Amino acid sequence: MERLVVDAEGKVTLPSTLIQRRGLRPGDELTLLETGRGLLVCHEGLALLDDWWENLTEAEKIEARKEAKEYEALSEEERDAIWNAGSEELERWFDADDDDDDDEKGATIDLESSKYPVG
Amino acid sequence: MTLNLASILLDKGVVRRVYEAQLRRSQGRLPTPEQMEAVEAFAQLVQASYQLHIAEASANILQRRRPQFAKTILLHTAVLNKGRYQRRWARRLRSFVFTREDAVIVAYGSFGVGPAQSERGADYIVTTDLRMVTNFHTHFAAIKHRFDQMIVHLPAPYQQAALPQIITPHTILTRW
Repeated sequence: MERLVVDAEGKVTLPSTLIQRRGLRPGDELTLLETGRGLLVCHEGLALLDDWWENLTEAEKIEARKEAKEYEALSEEERDAIWNAGSEELERWFDADDDDDDDEKGATIDLESSKYPVG
Repeated sequence: MTLNLASILLDKGVVRRVYEAQLRRSQGRLPTPEQMEAVEAFAQLVQASYQLHIAEASANILQRRRPQFAKTILLHTAVLNKGRYQRRWARRLRSFVFTREDAVIVAYGSFGVGPAQSERGADYIVTTDLRMVTNFHTHFAAIKHRFDQMIVHLPAPYQQAALPQIITPHTILTRW
């Protein structure tokens, strides 16, 4: 943990040890996350997003923007529907006959069917 | 935390927030704080080389989206499939007021099967569902008792199954 001091202009200076340890370079962006329990200074998340974006081809970027626009035009219910896809299948799986139990019965069945010789 | 090889299951909420953060990035906008928290936690886990997993349902959803978005998560995660006894445990978890979906996710943590068939469950489940986290922690003693009662009757290797810990992206950013 590092202690930072806000100066009169509202700036904070990161300790050089921290800059070295985190491999930060001039121009790197940090994220200040305001959470319910305080402020978090983060670096990796934005870097991951930027790397992802920079590694896309121009054609992929065009498609990505298109996808973003389409997704943004959806209502919250429509977005939820995308992320709830497969929930009916899950319900069916949940309600299916419990073949898990076969294993507990399995030992008996196997013995009775002489898969494993008894005696 | 020092267990860099711990296995971690990212629930659908985390996957969704990372995906939506990418959408915003592609429009030159900053992600929302909730999305940023998920992305930051994901990025830190990737960097620290944890074994990351997503459930098959999340993988199926991602595979229906454009690949340039899906690959960010799919490249860094393996899919956890439903395993033997998972349904039984999920059904029992329902008595602790978990929704079906939450019960299935929690049960993945104990009985899900990774790509290497010997790989079972996950040490941690990272979720954005605070209700699930609270529910799990509130009833933990009873859940653990019920779990122990169940696995003691199972054949090997299922007797060695364990409960996962359930945490949020915020926990990763502040306590790991």
